[in-house]
Amino acid sequence: MIVRTGLTGPFPRSEALVAATRDLDRGRVTAEVVEELFGRTEGEVVALERRLGFDTVTGGYLRWADLFRPFAETWEGFSVGPLTRWFETNTFYRQPILHAPPGRVPGAIAARLPPATRADPAHAGVILPGPYTFAGLLENRSGEAEVALVHRLGRLLAEEVRELAGLGYATFQFSEPLLVDRPPERALAEAVVSAYTSVHGSAGAASTLVWTYGADANPVFPLLDRLPVSAVGVDLAETDWETIPASSERRGLGLGVVDPRTTLVEEASDVVRIVHALKDRRRPSALWLGPGGPLDLVPWEPATRKLHLLPAVRQALNRENGGRP
Amino acid sequence: MTRSLFPAQEIGSLMKPRWQILGQHGEALDERSRGEFRAANERTHFADALPAATEALLGGRSRDAGADAVRDLGALFALRLFESAGLERVYDGEARRIEMYEYPIRQMRGFQFQGHVRSFDNKYYLKAAVTDEVRLEHPYHVEEFDFVRAHARGEPKLPITGPYTLADWSYNEHYLARQSGWKGPAVRRAAQREFVVDLAKRAVRPTLAALIEHGCRVIQIDEPAAGTHPDEADLVVEGFNAATEGLDAEFSMHICYSDYRDLLPELLEAKRCRQWAWEFANRDRDGRDGYEVLNALREYGDTREVGLGVVDVHRDEVESPELVADRIQRATKYLGDPARLWVNPDCGLRTRRLDIAAQKLDAVVRGAAIARATFENPRA
Repeated sequence: MIVRTGLTGPFPRSEALVAATRDLDRGRVTAEVVEELFGRTEGEVVALERRLGFDTVTGGYLRWADLFRPFAETWEGFSVGPLTRWFETNTFYRQPILHAPPGRVPGAIAARLPPATRADPAHAGVILPGPYTFAGLLENRSGEAEVALVHRLGRLLAEEVRELAGLGYATFQFSEPLLVDRPPERALAEAVVSAYTSVHGSAGAASTLVWTYGADANPVFPLLDRLPVSAVGVDLAETDWETIPASSERRGLGLGVVDPRTTLVEEASDVVRIVHALKDRRRPSALWLGPGGPLDLVPWEPATRKLHLLPAVRQALNRENGGRP
Repeated sequence: MTRSLFPAQEIGSLMKPRWQILGQHGEALDERSRGEFRAANERTHFADALPAATEALLGGRSRDAGADAVRDLGALFALRLFESAGLERVYDGEARRIEMYEYPIRQMRGFQFQGHVRSFDNKYYLKAAVTDEVRLEHPYHVEEFDFVRAHARGEPKLPITGPYTLADWSYNEHYLARQSGWKGPAVRRAAQREFVVDLAKRAVRPTLAALIEHGCRVIQIDEPAAGTHPDEADLVVEGFNAATEGLDAEFSMHICYSDYRDLLPELLEAKRCRQWAWEFANRDRDGRDGYEVLNALREYGDTREVGLGVVDVHRDEVESPELVADRIQRATKYLGDPARLWVNPDCGLRTRRLDIAAQKLDAVVRGAAIARATFENPRA
């Protein structure tokens, strides 16, 4: 079984970057100074990801204000709306407002990806909003029904994936916290399957992951198992692993094993025990290990400390496997 | 004590005046802030009690005034602002507090600050982890209460952060680490419960007891985090009950920006909570009736007082007194009893400029007067 590790969302900004961006807002430093620090800090995240042996490098998406902002700022039909609470956290996003049928702008999202990912796209992790979460969390003034909007966003994200895959990107993760927070039913669930059929179909040889987090994924597994993607990920701090259903379909399983809600570092032995149980129950073709959600819910230093769990788990699994990855 | 209908009360923090920020940092006041100080003092004479500090501050000698005296002036400024607006229950606008989390946590042992977390855009907050058993170093807010009590003309009402919010805004290491094995949802919940109850019993309750001993009779326990985890409403209640157990004061619970129906009926188990201080005005727009949720209290047969949010603290647009009166009348219709209503802004007005805050407070009081007249003289 292949074990892959990497970030599944944004990494926190360093304390230096926190201070600099605050100073920027107060007019105490120039944008150039802050931009230079963004670049340096992104380099530090990349170095950390490499040091920990991650399969994908992200650069931490430090510049992204939230999951939707690059889309709300660049795609047609959108404007940036009011501050809105991000699920059950003390953090907020600016709700995209959709005024008209959305249209993507070629090259716009590629230009917003962390510069570090452009240098080596084959080993970069592209993290995008999933079509269901995107459709469900925007303010829809376009008049289009939610089912149709999920279909449409699925097609647009498929075009995005096609463009990025053409640039050499090979791993696409779609963040779908809403899938577990407010599971879709009937026509909406079918629209989600259809959207991912479009997305995966446009990815070619690239991997596609659907990453859920923030709530229990167990009730949604019947739907997750229907999504035609390389792997689906679940947040193990919110999902009771002992009741994750069995599966005979050999495909990838993502496990969010680094809990972004606490600074306490998880025990590798606990994760290995869970992996053994799920390996037997679900027979995954590949295992994707990462944070259970956006790791920027903890500050830089504890986030760094917590990520060391991932290589520790991988090493333990490899040791059991006679040293073979 | 007999009160007239719809008495007005403060509910939280005010923006600190520029002269206070400059002065407490030892910086000389600029012309603008000096002018603002003088104009406010002409209206309310807030600085009369501290002539030496005032003279030093206005004379460009902030360091001579001293940071503590400048904060005293800030507290008096807020107190008189509330009083001059006509509020019956007042406080100091949290003039000495930076925010509602870091300060109480710094009065306790068992916590380690971990760094900053992004709230949104380039806005961050400092967050601590509980790494050992919670212990209170010394009760907090007592000195600020003593000051308010000594100077207030209205009835002092103290706001304090509740145990559930303090726990929710912290990382739980200590109580999680005590649980063996994988920290799944059930384990996390059990650990969070221990944390909330410990905070309530070991830190918040002794602080409340000390405040009551100093004469504090009206206490608002702020639980803004309650709305973020509706499934943990029972923990909010457990924390509230543990924090107030055996204490005799008028307690209220302030929760804002939540779907209150999601917290019911669990919330109703909060013993010793005499008043719900909730936000309503923010959602009373675009054709929605923000007060309809009060029906839920009636449906559950809850007869407690309600601190009714009648002005939105997230908009500069100042509500007319007529709109405030209409909101009070609608709330009365849903609750069925006007005598249960206090009126206040939705939440602390610190998000608004002081001139806007003053206008909104004025609208609260004038709106209450209009509504009062309607009830006392139905044909008026």
